[in-house]
Amino acid sequence: MNRIRLNVNGEDREVEVDPRRLLVHAVREEVGLTGTHVGCLTGDCGACTVLVDDRSVKSCSVLAVSADGARLRTIEDLGTEDDLDPVQRAFLEEFAFQCGYCLPGMLLTVRELLDRDPDPGEEDIVQAVSGNLCRCTGYGPILRAVRSAVRATREADRP
Amino acid sequence: MTGEDTPRYTAPADLDGVVAALEGADEGTVLVGGGTMVVPAMTHGHVVPSALVDLGRAGLTGIREEDGATVVGAMTDYASLLAADTDRGPGHPLRLLARAAAGITGGPQIRNRGTLGGSASYANPASDVPGCLVALGARLRLASARGVREVPAQEFFLGAFRTARRPDEVLAELVLPHGDALAWGYVKFKLAESSWPVVTSAAAVLAGGGLRVALGAAADRPVALDVPAPHRGTADPAWRALVADGAARALADRGAAFVDDVLADAHYRAAVTPVIVARAVEGALRGADRQERGRA
Repeated sequence: MNRIRLNVNGEDREVEVDPRRLLVHAVREEVGLTGTHVGCLTGDCGACTVLVDDRSVKSCSVLAVSADGARLRTIEDLGTEDDLDPVQRAFLEEFAFQCGYCLPGMLLTVRELLDRDPDPGEEDIVQAVSGNLCRCTGYGPILRAVRSAVRATREADRP
Repeated sequence: MTGEDTPRYTAPADLDGVVAALEGADEGTVLVGGGTMVVPAMTHGHVVPSALVDLGRAGLTGIREEDGATVVGAMTDYASLLAADTDRGPGHPLRLLARAAAGITGGPQIRNRGTLGGSASYANPASDVPGCLVALGARLRLASARGVREVPAQEFFLGAFRTARRPDEVLAELVLPHGDALAWGYVKFKLAESSWPVVTSAAAVLAGGGLRVALGAAADRPVALDVPAPHRGTADPAWRALVADGAARALADRGAAFVDDVLADAHYRAAVTPVIVARAVEGALRGADRQERGRA
């Protein structure tokens, strides 16, 4: 077993893991935050997306030991029920999810996109969600939600 | 967890540490780069490590110029390759790698994590990187306690998931010579967004007027071939027949053949290859044309 330190959503945590333990399993089971979903375990679906040092990764394709010392941001940190992140609000208002399984990964991916580029073009938006599989919506509402989150961010930034 | 003995895990702080960790290593020692391919392979039991050497803390990143070549650290991720592709001519080797990186399947999460050296070392025949490295005439710098050696890309890829890297070696750097390419084109032909490609093709317009083409995903290893310029256009059946013959010969020369798999049978791959090469060549010709007009 290897002892690793993680800063998860601003809180320092220390957990013991087998070196083969996947980051997604460590987040869900050792850290205890189950908002990050286990989907395909092949790096395809994106349901397990978390931000590691501000960059989105598929946490099923990262060993927990490799993240020793890293800063993690998971879906639990994105907003609260009373104070949704603009990306969450946009997905809600545009009906951009149905079963919700892909949603935590989708929201964090879009959050990273907007943090990097507050005014992404259509191609950037399509590229950004191309690693997150949604089998409910057909992506139309998702693309509308991302455009709406972009507009909301732009308006909030206006002096 | 598979129940085998827990593998020994090390994450050396530099290349010397990696080389030391690999001394006497056997096939069970697994190098972990970005992890995007080898970690899922471990999850599904395709790879069962007796020892894990994590390259994530060893540096091995960055892009520098060295005697007429661009040298890329093996742990350089796709996002960094994209970010580095600014103010470079259309014939620069990074231009081709950036084109490939932009189309990597799996979204920004994979571009943030997947690495050039990792993709080369894993040698999945359907990945973008092996074909691009062969097109570039890249040399792969392998380090071990016995020293450093360079292997040309064409000799590095021995087959599906098989390379010339020995178990005690680590791919440290990739040397991309600034050759005679004026502009690059790249086409990845896949039938669905999240699918593996059926055939990939990189094409360069060369200073002497000829074309160099590389094929990926077509066989168990990538191949390069020289193709004459299409004087009657890329739709000319005679030119396409030349491409088809050249591709078949290049594969045969390497002891390879078009593969059958769930995506396409060998007959389909052979038939579609001249079409995909034609599209890559058209992209390269457009790039060279823009360059020419920019100068005029």
